[in-house]
Amino acid sequence: MVHLNEETLSELLEGASVTGVEEHLASCPVCRGELDALRRLRSELRELPELDAPPELWSRIEARLPVGGRARRTRRGWPSMIAIQAAAMAAVFVIGLGLGRMFAPGDQAGPGSQLVSERAAATSLADAMAEVRRLGAQYDAALRNLEQLAAQEGAPTPSLAEQRLASLDALVEASRTALSVEPADLVLNSYLFAALEERAAVLRQIRAEQESGSEVLWR
Amino acid sequence: MREEGLVDLTEATLVRRARAGELEAMRELYERHASRVYTVVRRLAGDDDLAADLAQDAWASAFQKIREFRGEAAFGTWVHRIAVNTALTQLRQAARRRNLEQSFNGSSTLGNPDRLPASGAAERVTIQRALDLLPDGYRSVLWLHDVEGYTHEEIGARLGIAVGTSKSQLAKARARLRALVAESRAEVVDHGAS
Repeated sequence: MVHLNEETLSELLEGASVTGVEEHLASCPVCRGELDALRRLRSELRELPELDAPPELWSRIEARLPVGGRARRTRRGWPSMIAIQAAAMAAVFVIGLGLGRMFAPGDQAGPGSQLVSERAAATSLADAMAEVRRLGAQYDAALRNLEQLAAQEGAPTPSLAEQRLASLDALVEASRTALSVEPADLVLNSYLFAALEERAAVLRQIRAEQESGSEVLWR
Repeated sequence: MREEGLVDLTEATLVRRARAGELEAMRELYERHASRVYTVVRRLAGDDDLAADLAQDAWASAFQKIREFRGEAAFGTWVHRIAVNTALTQLRQAARRRNLEQSFNGSSTLGNPDRLPASGAAERVTIQRALDLLPDGYRSVLWLHDVEGYTHEEIGARLGIAVGTSKSQLAKARARLRALVAESRAEVVDHGAS
């Protein structure tokens, strides 16, 4: 007797009707057994247990996330309102100063859209790169100051502004990481400037909120 | 270390915070779905080391493009899909390097029962191991169809093969798996008797 081939058995497992097969199955215990075995095997496959991910996997993933460093910083606690205000003003000052130098007077579209590529055209790429590095150093200094103040003061929980700042910091760090590989990339430089400029705007907003006594940004 | 304070947060909140770059939120999302993601890539890969690499790539990719996640499906479903796509893409690339035709024609020695341990060996071949012994092409089609519920059209699109090829591979994969499992069970019986 010729038995059913694997393709026919597979079709039957799918529930397809195959012409002339019913009679064969009725009279052939071997093929019936094969079909039952395949059915059981499919059930067993579906019932295989979920597996635990290797314990070291998260650290491998974390190492590839550009936000890792910044996120760790948020664990250390946040400064009091006064400390934030002082640090924010300092950061606004240094970043604002740097950005003010970067963009020529009379720039109609504003610094957010007129980034390093145009600056590079006005002077040289080397000058623009030097300015990026200088601004970055100032940014780091302001951030360190913020963290120092945070460590000294209490730690109220920030909300919306925290998220915005965290997001911008992540962008700054990501841009820097990329720039360390491709330091002359104009697009990456543009991202970095945009992030710094936006961050300065957020800090200005925080200062304005603090001065007006608003409690919207900080709980 | 997993942050206890995040355990009670909804997934939507975690996603929002992960989008803002909060590492702890990403960690919590990872913890909630790590097993599911690892399991699917491990089943498709057939190998522990490769599975770890694939899971790493899938999660890194998910967090890098988390802003694209719109919440139309559950986060777990979204990251699972990324994991499947990551695994299939890399397996296909690997198959190309090794000669795709050989793998998908099933002529690879990887799935050959002769490659199983000799009947005298104490090692038992479970379904899981039998699955690992299938050629990559067989294993992918079998797992995607019989467990993940993909249609042959979807499998064809993802693996770059014709629908008919997917059906044919599935039939061969089932038969090969059945033979591998039957053989391993026979070995166990044989050992029990001796």
